[in-house]
Amino acid sequence: MPIVALDLPRRAVLPLSQHIGAPATPCVAVGERVVRGQMVAKAAGFVSAPVHTPISGTVREIAPVAMPSGYPVTAITVETDDTMHEADTAARLAQIEADMQPADRTLSETLTAEQIRRRIADSGIVGLGGATFPSTVKLSTRPDAAIDTLVINACECEPYLTCDDALMRACAPRIAEGIELMLKAAGVPRAVIGIEDNKPEAIAALRAALSDGWPIDICVLRTKYPQGGEKQLVEAVTGRRIPAGALPAAVGTIVNNVATAFAVYAAVDAGRPLIERVITVTGDTSVRGNYLVAIGTPIGDIVPAITDGCKVVLGGPMMGRTAVTLDTPVTKGTSGLLVLEGRPRLPEQPCIRCTACVNVCPMGLEPYLLANLARRRMWPEAERHTVTDCIECGSCSYICPSSRPLLDYIRLAKSTVMADIRARNAKK
Amino acid sequence: MSVIFITIAVIGLTGLAGAVLLYVVARRFSVEEDPRISRIADLLPGANCGGCGLKGCRDFATTCVARGNLAGIWCPVGGQDVMDRVAAIIGVAAASVDPLVATLRCNGSCSARPQRADYDGARSCAVMAAVAVGERGCSFGCLGCGDCVGVCGFGAISIDPSTGLPVVDPDRCTACGACVAACPRHLIELRPRGKRDRRVWVACSNRDRGAVARRTCSAACIGCGKCARTCPFGAIDIADNLAYIDPALCRACGKCIDGCPTGAILSTLPPRPVKPATPQANETTHI
Repeated sequence: MPIVALDLPRRAVLPLSQHIGAPATPCVAVGERVVRGQMVAKAAGFVSAPVHTPISGTVREIAPVAMPSGYPVTAITVETDDTMHEADTAARLAQIEADMQPADRTLSETLTAEQIRRRIADSGIVGLGGATFPSTVKLSTRPDAAIDTLVINACECEPYLTCDDALMRACAPRIAEGIELMLKAAGVPRAVIGIEDNKPEAIAALRAALSDGWPIDICVLRTKYPQGGEKQLVEAVTGRRIPAGALPAAVGTIVNNVATAFAVYAAVDAGRPLIERVITVTGDTSVRGNYLVAIGTPIGDIVPAITDGCKVVLGGPMMGRTAVTLDTPVTKGTSGLLVLEGRPRLPEQPCIRCTACVNVCPMGLEPYLLANLARRRMWPEAERHTVTDCIECGSCSYICPSSRPLLDYIRLAKSTVMADIRARNAKK
Repeated sequence: MSVIFITIAVIGLTGLAGAVLLYVVARRFSVEEDPRISRIADLLPGANCGGCGLKGCRDFATTCVARGNLAGIWCPVGGQDVMDRVAAIIGVAAASVDPLVATLRCNGSCSARPQRADYDGARSCAVMAAVAVGERGCSFGCLGCGDCVGVCGFGAISIDPSTGLPVVDPDRCTACGACVAACPRHLIELRPRGKRDRRVWVACSNRDRGAVARRTCSAACIGCGKCARTCPFGAIDIADNLAYIDPALCRACGKCIDGCPTGAILSTLPPRPVKPATPQANETTHI
């Protein structure tokens, strides 16, 4: 499916916390005029990311708005008018045109690593696979870490989502350019794109874009879930296994999403901060497709009014979270909107000790045990059974013949144990 | 005949040998324990609820004897009666603590907070709180899955189907605090039972601004401060748009209850004859 550019919204709601780390600090006041691409909130610390406005207009409000979970987060609301809307739309069309052009390889020669990292940081780029970890932090590698490979995740994190596939088919040369800029920024000699074999057109497009002299290889992987998990991907591409509790840097790799690579191109070459992203809209809806959407567009503008008993999941079917309200904006981490109609979860039944969850767990954990420990609030025991290694892929809940909500409980245990560990470390 | 004598002799000698062996073993491996520990342990309820903050009733008894005083040690289940007897065994004066009862600081019933979403995940408040604000849209209020009911070792809490909120049976509640720890929204507070079981509390924990809180729940405290102005004893404090009645200062006169525009203040006082209320009509203009 080709990417359709959705109209820019008349009103953009920009939450200050769209990333992992400290929420951004607003740097505009209510009533101030802003232009498309202007920074409206700046990063508050190293692990943080600035926020930019995708539309020109006036800052209407800086107030709490409901996030998909229903919990409020402070957000900046920008409203546009007709003339500005037209100008923005024209500017955007020119940008889309430029994004389809062949790669410009001079920039990675002329710019220094520090300059590229600076631009990535100033553009508010975060991991677009869904984890939303600020990209500069990942690319600021320590010299003693000995990173030799940048692994690019082109696996599409979850079933149903096709946004990365669509982006690779449309803009493969620019993605390659972004990857090369990332290599320069991180001081890493080579990159490997890990891509699943169910995307032949994307593979062909990447092969064509990388025909001569690029330090980038393509590694075609078997299609399975979870292939796009950091640890699974690094092992599949490089054969190196990341130890429990460690980051990919422990085995000399860093992992970034293919959409993040494209955002790096946009920031460094086109000078456009992270104000738009491609999302997949799918499921029981008439508007299925891949859309280029301005960040801050209310979800209700994208998905038409839904009926009772219908749910809208943000992200994919395995790890996504159901939105409590549609009056909430698309954020940097929104990879898809999945509309499911009349398909509630089946009622929970007793565990029959079939160990299907143990067999399916990609991290070799015992989901039934972790879920029971969480239910009994036995957090130290859950920690001993390495609940922190869970990647929350949801395979256990999916496979369970008794439809037990295993992941719900394991997520609870994981977050509680992580908080305990942080508290212990802070005490030290 | 001789068979009987042989049998008696064999069994008798075996018994004697066993008795000697047991005596030797008992002397050789005996563990000296302060007899007061088992005496105290016998007095305790034996529920091992952990409400005292120790690892169970046996640990409670050991700690009492080891410390030699009762400072900071209190069995909420046994209450004053048990503590007096424990104090007598230790040989110190018993401390006195006002008896407490678990009190829910939320009154967002089905009618006050209509359901806005359907939740079909794990039936656990802790899980629901981590995923979303809940079915009724209040990010501070009760989620109604009954985590508190599940942890109560005394069967004192049940969910009222008409309101969807947990109800504490004060006769069964021992103020062990298990529900306080289990509630992910920290809605349950241990409050003094009050003289003659008369107590008044603010049944809301919503810290949103008044208008926002009111939109979420018609029974929310909007922080208007009317109760604080009414209270003759200065027992009510408003912080973060939320009123809190200090049980140490409150004399349960009940004057604050009638003035509250949202009915967020609850009490165990007997219902008073309702005066013909005049200012009801313009109450909304204040908000």
